[in-house]
Order: sequence, then C-alpha cells, then structure tokens
Amino acid sequence: MKKAKKKKNKAAGFVKKTLGIAALAYAGLFCVFYYDLDGKLLYYVVEPFMKNHFDNMERRDPHTVPYEQIDSEYMAAQN
Amino acid sequence: MKKPDLKKLKEVDFKKAAKDFVYGKPHGERRLGDLYIPKTGLYKHREWRGIKDTMYYFNNIWLYNYGMIVRDLMVYGGGPKGMIQFLKGTWRYRWMGQTYLTVMHWFDRCLEGMRGETLKASAWHFRGITSACLYQITGFFNRDLNIGGDPALRAKTIGTDETVWGGVIYPYMDQGGYYLPTQMIPYFVTCHCNNHTVLNYIDAVQAYGLPGDPCPMCQAEAGIYIEDDVPDAYVAMVTTNEACDSSVGTSVIQDWMMNKPLFAMPQVMQFDDDSVLENCAKEIEMAWRFMEEQTGLEFHWEELKKHIELQNKQNQFEREKWDVAANTHSYPINGVAQALYRIFYSQYGERPFWHDVDAKVRKIMEKCVEEDINTFPMTRHRVIAWSCAPLYYSAWCTWAYNCWGLNTIINMDSLMFDLDIRTDTYENCLLDIAKYHEWAPMRRMAVGGLQHIFELWENMEKFNCDMVMMYDQLQCKGMQGVVGLFEDEFRARNIHAIWMPHALPDKRTVPRSQIRQIINDYMFTVMGEEPLDPSLLDFDDIDSW
Repeated sequence: MKKAKKKKNKAAGFVKKTLGIAALAYAGLFCVFYYDLDGKLLYYVVEPFMKNHFDNMERRDPHTVPYEQIDSEYMAAQN
Repeated sequence: MKKPDLKKLKEVDFKKAAKDFVYGKPHGERRLGDLYIPKTGLYKHREWRGIKDTMYYFNNIWLYNYGMIVRDLMVYGGGPKGMIQFLKGTWRYRWMGQTYLTVMHWFDRCLEGMRGETLKASAWHFRGITSACLYQITGFFNRDLNIGGDPALRAKTIGTDETVWGGVIYPYMDQGGYYLPTQMIPYFVTCHCNNHTVLNYIDAVQAYGLPGDPCPMCQAEAGIYIEDDVPDAYVAMVTTNEACDSSVGTSVIQDWMMNKPLFAMPQVMQFDDDSVLENCAKEIEMAWRFMEEQTGLEFHWEELKKHIELQNKQNQFEREKWDVAANTHSYPINGVAQALYRIFYSQYGERPFWHDVDAKVRKIMEKCVEEDINTFPMTRHRVIAWSCAPLYYSAWCTWAYNCWGLNTIINMDSLMFDLDIRTDTYENCLLDIAKYHEWAPMRRMAVGGLQHIFELWENMEKFNCDMVMMYDQLQCKGMQGVVGLFEDEFRARNIHAIWMPHALPDKRTVPRSQIRQIINDYMFTVMGEEPLDPSLLDFDDIDSW
C-alpha cells in the first residue's frame, strides 16, 4: 500500500515536472515570438554569416564554359 | 528607484487598456509603424492583436508553420536522408541558405493588422505556398548530383523554365516523373520572402557583361546560371518563349551554362488567332516525345486526365472565391495571399497540398458568408491591381489596407488561367492545354494584345472596384508601350488610378518607401483623405527582407 502510494506520488511528481517544463518552454517560445527574437537572430547573426560564406565560395568561372555543348549534339542527331 | 509619475498614471484609461489587451486595439489606434526597428523591418515586438488573435497567430501560424516546415522536410525529403540533403543544399546554394530561413517574417509582413477569419484564411494560403516550396526544394536537393543526390530520381526529372506550366508532367507522374521549374524557387519566390539574394544574381549577370536594361527578372534568372547556383537535379530541359523575348535571352544563357539536352517549346503571343492553336498543340506533343526520349517514361492518358480533372476542381473553387470577393464584404483573403497563392498553384500545377488548403479555406469562407462577417471593415476603396506586381513589395496590399483602407480585391495575374480543360477526348484536352500554355503569366493580358490588357474595365465592373493600382514595371518594354493609352482611358472613364513604378525583383530602382510615398501623395492630394494609421505613412525599411 505504502509502496503504491510512493509510486503514485512519484508519477504525480513526474507529471508535474513535465508540465512545468512544458509550460516554461511554451512561455519561452512565446517570448521568442512576441519579441521577434527569431527574426533578430536571423537578421543580425545567421544571414550575415551565410552571406559571408556564399560571398567567399569558390565558383566556376563562366568564361571557361565552352559554347558548343551537348544539346547541339542532340539537335544534330535529330536532323 | 524612479518614482512612478502619478499624474501620467491618472491619465491612463485602465478600462480602455484592458479592453485593448483583450480584444486588440481598433483599426485607427494601432500605430503599427511604431513597431518597426528602423531600416531592418524587424519588430521591436510583434503586434498584439488581442488575446484570441495573438494566441492564434502564435499557436496556429508561427509555431504550427515552424513545425510543419520540419514535417514537410521529413515527408517530402523521404526521412532523415532528406534532412541531410536539405542541410547540404542550404550550405551550397545562396538562394536557400541566405533566403528561405526567414520565411516566418514573410508571413508577418503579409499578415500585419489582419484579424479573425481573415487572418486564418490568409495564413492558410501561405501555408500552402510554403509547403509547395518545400516540395520543390527537397525535389531539387534529393536529385542534385552536386551534393550527392540520387541519380535514379534525377533520371526521371525534367527541368523547365518557370513559365512552362507544371501540367506537362501530368502524364508521367504515376511513374515517378518529376517537374522542376528551375527558376521558381531559386529566383521567383526568393524575391517575396527575402529580396536580398536576388540582387546578387542581377549584379552577377551585369558583371558578366550583359546590359542592365532588359527585364530584371530575366537578368536574375540568367544570373543564377552565371553564378553556378542551379542544382544538377534534372536530366534535360524544356524552355519556352513565355512571357517575352527577354525570356528567350535567358534560355540562351541557361542552355550555354547547363550543358544538357534542351527542347524549346514556343507559344504564340497573339493567341486570339485560332489557326495557331493547333501549332501550339503540336509543340506540346513534341515536348512530350522529347521528355519520353530523355527519361524513358511512357505517356499515360488516364494519369493526365486524372490530374486535369483535379486541377479543374481547383479552378472551380477559385471562381467561387471570386464570386464572394466580387459580390459580398465577406471575402476572407487579403490581396497578397490571394495573388501569390493563385499564381503559384495555377502555374505549378495540381498537387495534394493545394486541395488541403482549399478545403480549410472553403470552411472559413462559408462561415464568413453565412454569418455575414465584414472581413475588411475599414475598406474605403475596393482596388483592382493591374499589370505585373513588384515582387519585392507584394505585401504593399497589406500596408495599403492598414494605412489607407485600400482593399485589394483582385489582381490581373489571378485572372489569367481561368480555363477548365476538357477531358472528353485526347484532342480536345490537348487543344485546351495549348490554350492554357498560351495564357501564361505576363502573357495572357500583359502582352497578349491590347484588347486583353484592356480587360481591366470589365473586371473592374465585375469585382465592383472603384480604384486601380496600375503597376508600372519600368524595364518591361511591352507594358511601357501602353502607358499613354491607359492614361487616356483613365481620364476618359474618370477612374482613380495610381501608377506604381517598380523594377520587378530589384528594390534598388524604386524602393518600397518611394512606392508608399506615391500612394500617400495620391491619397492626400487627389482623394483628399486622411490615413487610418499615420504611423505607417513614412518609415525606413530599406534593408528589410
């Protein structure tokens, strides 16, 4: 009997703790939403970081792409 | 500690403050412009819309859509592998990594000031568009050989110009045939969501030596290829001359840079001549044969018919929406949601996510009509928007309603694809498909002949509009040719029309603040009206998304 009660209390405590964490997470997310913290993070941190990454990325030089290409071979095969 | 100013506290009307907290401030007292952080377009805090609507926005729009983005990536991407491909693509392509992460701010800009059923129905439209984007983004990345995509999927994928209607793939969808409009996601939607990245592509093509005066849409589309920012996700390409000659120029550069078999599918510009319809139909059949040769897929008539019939259902619902918009004050969709959703689904073609959205919107719209809800209660003028819109400021309709009570009921691009395609015989179906192709974006009215661009007058009457927002795309040579004719007609018909200059995706030519100033000037000086929200008259959002 005592053991069952202890188990019940433990379960109730777990539920309470879970609900408490969920409520805190929900309130935290509401703060992120209301104060536009997602937007501020993206604008001031993520986008400049990504922009810097893309600006410095090595890219193919378009001048090196030959003009005669596969589709002209394809069209020639059709004719 | 600073003592509270008792005099000020006494002046506070607590009853009113409590009412505003519960129900939100009434339109006219909101001062939405005060929420912005100068230059950035970010909010000091998001709008308080009253308890019910704020919690709806937080739970059912903000949280829900962030969650659904993850869900879509998992479902469309095919599980964890799709998620890894998505991360690789985000790191590889500027149009993804620098652009789409800001998607919820797009919702914010377009839904500012919306309440109740209008907020709900408009947000569902954006959910549909977002889902369609993720479907394509995962489609790109799962197939992209640049980032380790699946060659078997790529082998059944046809890349296209974004103005090639998505229905070309219908006959092959049951065999895994996949349609990938190569500019829709890397270019078109980016301009609406976050217009920073497109400037990079415009500059790239000009730096390459091409002139800066053609349509900036075509410049940007070509710039993506110059920058080598197109995934290698398709086996061959179908292009078109739609909407105009500038688009053909884009195809030349794409063809050069991508090194894949290409089929050019021309469509006639003056589509009223029925003798050319059969020729267009033949071009479409030739495109199908080309696609079959390249992918090994077979033409399935029943599959084509199935999707066409589903698409016709979408179009029929669209007409029901127009009927409500034209004849009641209970249409619950704002101007920007209506415009973007319509052009996206009618161009991209029938897919399951559109039907999910339509079912939700139907419920909301029926409720509004049955309960006679006035969805835009501060409407002063019913506006029809005509010609091609500024992509970097599609949210102007939301601003114009909040600031001036200008309610955009309908726009030109939404009216283009109004065609139920026949499925009784293959021949009839093919002819209607050809017609549908001829009515492509920026083609049906804008360059389809003077009588079509002048369909404005009958639609103004049909939708009970008393004002025109006349888009003036400064680099569109076709539309520049009819400016004078429109001005004459506006005068002769005594119509209030505001010319809105813009350069499609490029916000540097006519900034958003200048567009607002033009509307402000007209409303003050010609209409003699005062703003509903003076805080929105003038604010700096030059660096915003």
